[in-house]
Amino acid sequence: MEEEKKYKKVSYWSVVWSQFKKNKVALWGLGAIILLLLQAIYSPFLSLDVPLVYSVEGTTHFPFLVELFNKNRFENTVDILFNGIMVASPFIVALWFVLKKVLSFSTSKNLVIFIGFLILVCILSSVASENTKMGNKKYKDEIAAAKADGKKVSAIFPLMKWSYKETDLEGRNPQAPSAKHLLGTDATGRDVLTRMLYGTRISMTIGVVAVSIYMLIGIVLGALAGYFGGAIDLWISRLIEVVICFPTFFLILTLAAFIEKRTVFHVMILIGVVSWTGVARLVRGEFLRQRGMDYVQAAIALGISRAKIIFTHILPNAMGPILVSATFGIASAILTESSLSFLGLGDTTAPSWGGILNVGRQQGKLWLILAPGFAIFFVVSVFNLVGEAIRDAMDPRLRQ
Amino acid sequence: MWTYIAKRILWMIPTFFAISLIIFLILNLAPGKPGGTLASGAEGQEASGSSRESYRVFKSQFNLDKPVLFNTRYALSDEQVEKCLNNYANESGKVPMKEVIKSQELLEDYGQYSIPSLIRILKKSEGNQKFRAVVLETLLQNAQRYPINAYAEHLDEKTKKINNEIDIENNQIRTFACSKDASLKDQEKVAQKWYAWYGKHEDRFKYSFWQKVGIFFTDTRFFKYWASLIRFDFGVSHIDKKPVMGKILSKLQYSLCLSVPAVIFAYIISVPLGVFSAVKQNSKFDRVCAVILFMLYSLPSFFVATVLLYFFSQGGDFLKIFPTGGFQSPSVDSMTTWEKTKDIIWHIVLPLICMTYGSFASLSRYARTGMLDVIRSDYVRTARAKGLSEFVVVVKHAMRNGMIPIITLLGTLLPVIIGGSVIIEYIFGIPGMGQLSITSIYNRDYNMIMGIQLISAILVLIGILLSDLLYALVDPRISFK
Repeated sequence: MEEEKKYKKVSYWSVVWSQFKKNKVALWGLGAIILLLLQAIYSPFLSLDVPLVYSVEGTTHFPFLVELFNKNRFENTVDILFNGIMVASPFIVALWFVLKKVLSFSTSKNLVIFIGFLILVCILSSVASENTKMGNKKYKDEIAAAKADGKKVSAIFPLMKWSYKETDLEGRNPQAPSAKHLLGTDATGRDVLTRMLYGTRISMTIGVVAVSIYMLIGIVLGALAGYFGGAIDLWISRLIEVVICFPTFFLILTLAAFIEKRTVFHVMILIGVVSWTGVARLVRGEFLRQRGMDYVQAAIALGISRAKIIFTHILPNAMGPILVSATFGIASAILTESSLSFLGLGDTTAPSWGGILNVGRQQGKLWLILAPGFAIFFVVSVFNLVGEAIRDAMDPRLRQ
Repeated sequence: MWTYIAKRILWMIPTFFAISLIIFLILNLAPGKPGGTLASGAEGQEASGSSRESYRVFKSQFNLDKPVLFNTRYALSDEQVEKCLNNYANESGKVPMKEVIKSQELLEDYGQYSIPSLIRILKKSEGNQKFRAVVLETLLQNAQRYPINAYAEHLDEKTKKINNEIDIENNQIRTFACSKDASLKDQEKVAQKWYAWYGKHEDRFKYSFWQKVGIFFTDTRFFKYWASLIRFDFGVSHIDKKPVMGKILSKLQYSLCLSVPAVIFAYIISVPLGVFSAVKQNSKFDRVCAVILFMLYSLPSFFVATVLLYFFSQGGDFLKIFPTGGFQSPSVDSMTTWEKTKDIIWHIVLPLICMTYGSFASLSRYARTGMLDVIRSDYVRTARAKGLSEFVVVVKHAMRNGMIPIITLLGTLLPVIIGGSVIIEYIFGIPGMGQLSITSIYNRDYNMIMGIQLISAILVLIGILLSDLLYALVDPRISFK
């Protein structure tokens, strides 16, 4: 007993993490990703045309919370879902704390409960948005009118008073950057900074969801091929060979053009459905390698079910390369989506960075080109940076 | 070696078949209809008679009236036809417009297969004027046969003869026309004519078992497409009826003019850069290089292209050096060869920069890793120990093996070289393959899209084979046994 206490239990992932931490630039990158996620979630506090609180002649209104689920104000489902997550975020943090510290389940169990809760929040918020029948009420006009009438009015707005679809027709659009619009407006008079902020949501969702879709397909097919071998492997390998030859980007373009009412979700599904081959090959290789190892043989000998061996024994050991390719995958999915929007084949109503850049190109206005361009560049390079750092951290040859 | 290549090429055939099957299914099952303006005219309100007819001809010309993969229309039941007729007749006026048009299209598509059912329904529906008018109208339209290969340039005598007979019969059928509000008596008269005609041609609509099998597999869109594909015929464009292959070949020169120099420049820059930073690993140069390359690698090309256009083109606000787009000046005809070359170079500088930087960023990283793998190996140390100069060691000994990975990459670049870049060509208005792809997508030109997809798939297949062969060529340790 005395002997054992001397050695601290070190898991594979804690080794990887300690290696990762040594790379300062990558740590900054990880911090940037977290910041971007927070910015995406809390965008309504940064910019929205709804006051948090306002009072007219002593009666106080709190329109903010309800308006978050107003489909007429947020025309994108992505925004409704993010708003739901924003409202639920204190509970999410509390849940995480309870799971981690109080119940101390295993990490995978925690993760399943956590993701389940997130999905529940998303479903609830979309249900809530279906049931609200609010118009696009103009609070700013109302407050200004009340002020003009000489009533006693006070209001607390988010940092900026714009919503991403609201058009400002006071100047000649596109307006150049000014104190009123920090990054100017686009051709129809919508505030560019606000659209950029909400664009983070689109990009993040595209990256995460599209990659999740193709990870799922790739992992399942690759695991089946690698674990069972034989005829299953043969057929799945043939399928991979066939799909690899597809001109991916052109196929996505074509299908996107064929869908009449494109939403961001269509784009995610398209990207997910055509780009799973890399992951499938990776997972297949890993499974082929792990399949012959002693621990798998032991698990088979113990009579553990196949599904359990595949998903709880082998998969965690194959997770490293999968994680690396997922990180790079997010970067390339974001890039693909912005290219699509740039060509006008993305979701035309969504405030996508690629779409803003396209407007900038057509209008020949520098602020409309640089802002979204650097945003895409920043996000893509941050994800690439972190992906490379994880890969290096996992490489035993580079271990310090 | 040769048996290996032959084996690989034979494997390509089933792979290619599967690729074409999947892409064909995806395109045909995707929502929406081909034919651009023609189809949208038919989709909206009930189109006028003539445009309706031209859309029908268009559909038959491109086999769009046939089922996608399997044809079971030889066993069309009366109920199916009657349901469509009911919807199309819309006696109650309650059927939504969309449904009416759908039924109308379905009736058109059934074509000859619906004749026996139509005749039986005609017999049954005595006394119902409005419904019968629709049945007669559909019969008139479906009983006429299309001439064989009507759009081919040359026809042999036999087909000409058959087409002549079809023509005569169609003319006869046209005399069966019956106006929409004809009286019951007139309708009955026309119906009798139809019964007589059907009695004469009844054999045509009775299919033997093998005929049914034949129809099941061959009278479909996919079979017809493949039947011409076997002869390397990708069909004709839906838009201007010109052969797909010819259109692609005519665009090829523009894309090649861009991509070949881009790849050459990318290699010229990246190989020395990668080698140098590998030799001086962890030096200041290596680190700066790594950061710059990393940033270039993450820079989206459409952003760079837009910025370059803004700063350096005549349409922008700053240095008005380069043209805003295009491949040549409009006055190209009056130029000498030398001026033409200069003009083209002037036009492609900006797009070339955009196409080069992305590939050289990734190539240099490959070159660096490739060099790092060999620079510490024993034989390089031996070469140094022999007293060879550092230059000879690096260039003659290390580089030969270190460059293997990036040479094999050349094969996988093949689709990019020939296919061009959709985005770059779109932004700079270069009329190459990428531009062609985009316009065919916007026009819903199915044959064109299929052609481009399949040609890129073939290029990928060849590219993979090529890089495997290159690998064996430069690395004698690899053998095909």
